[in-house]
Amino acid sequence: MTATAAGTLWYAYAVVGPVDAEVRAALGGEFELVGSGEAAVVAGPVDEADYGTDVLAERLNDREWVEQAVQAHERVVQRLLPVAAVVPLRFGSIHRDREGVAAFLHSRRDDFVATLARVRGRVELGVKVWLEPQEEQRPPAAATSGREYLERQRAARERHAAAGAELDDRLRRIHERLLAASDEGVLNRPQARELTGDPRRMVMNAAYLVADDDAFVAEVERLRRDEPSLVLEVTGPWAPYNFADAPER
Amino acid sequence: MSSRDLAANGPARSLSSGPAPGQLADVLERVLDKGIVVAGDIQINLLDIELLTIRLRLLIASADKAREMGIDWWDGDPFLSGRRRDGNELEDRLRRLEEKAGLPVTGEDR
Repeated sequence: MTATAAGTLWYAYAVVGPVDAEVRAALGGEFELVGSGEAAVVAGPVDEADYGTDVLAERLNDREWVEQAVQAHERVVQRLLPVAAVVPLRFGSIHRDREGVAAFLHSRRDDFVATLARVRGRVELGVKVWLEPQEEQRPPAAATSGREYLERQRAARERHAAAGAELDDRLRRIHERLLAASDEGVLNRPQARELTGDPRRMVMNAAYLVADDDAFVAEVERLRRDEPSLVLEVTGPWAPYNFADAPER
Repeated sequence: MSSRDLAANGPARSLSSGPAPGQLADVLERVLDKGIVVAGDIQINLLDIELLTIRLRLLIASADKAREMGIDWWDGDPFLSGRRRDGNELEDRLRRLEEKAGLPVTGEDR
């Protein structure tokens, strides 16, 4: 029944504020603002045939569909980022109708206004640190005897442990310096190679809430000079996904 | 690196022409895992979202491989304490029905 109902549902992308002509212009005719003034929800229609209760569970098994839906979500958020403070919502905030969207805004409006104030004039920048393959531990050379083999194994393990502790220290210092150049920062789990498609190993995956992006990038540049054997990558600007807080969880 | 380079590395450019694999990972990480959680009227409910993120992670990195690399996001995750490697439709349905009926959920008691 769900698929044949051919209804339209309301998908909420983000909370923005304050609402002005620029925000309205950025949305064009495709998306609607629910609410006004200091905080409003940006929502748009989605097809019940994709986002209905039972269908969606099926769709979530389809990796391509999920990737496209997630990118569509991010595109809407990116449209808003240059024109207003944005609190991005997580994927899948879906409401039956406009009143449903209005009700959730109403229930948490004070939180949203406070969060909008905290992130206003700031962007999220991602910083990833990569280890070049040649920086990683090489396997010990072929041994001529069992004893030599075991000794080499042990030496390799010790080197590996020492290198790991040393790397942790360097990464901690990098994070501290980037925290000093930002309002807030979080360390996320480094992404797996299968996810990044990169031959290098990611050893740090951080996000920072940044007011002065030139100063932040200048600090990254200094870190690159100080740590020539590490590859520092900056991504963004993103909406403050990592700093939106999730009081319900 | 200037802020111009920064903008050129940003998601906007990549998304308009389809993101590079690394960029896609960043978008998935943020949109699925971060941001404010709002329980909508349509209960794709948090359960389905949990399953979604787990499935995505497993599509991308098998659990064993990931553990080998020191990734253990799901160790504290009730859905993954078992062998939930791929979407087991029957199990999902059973769990949903049990929930609707207010019964203790199977699959969390392993």
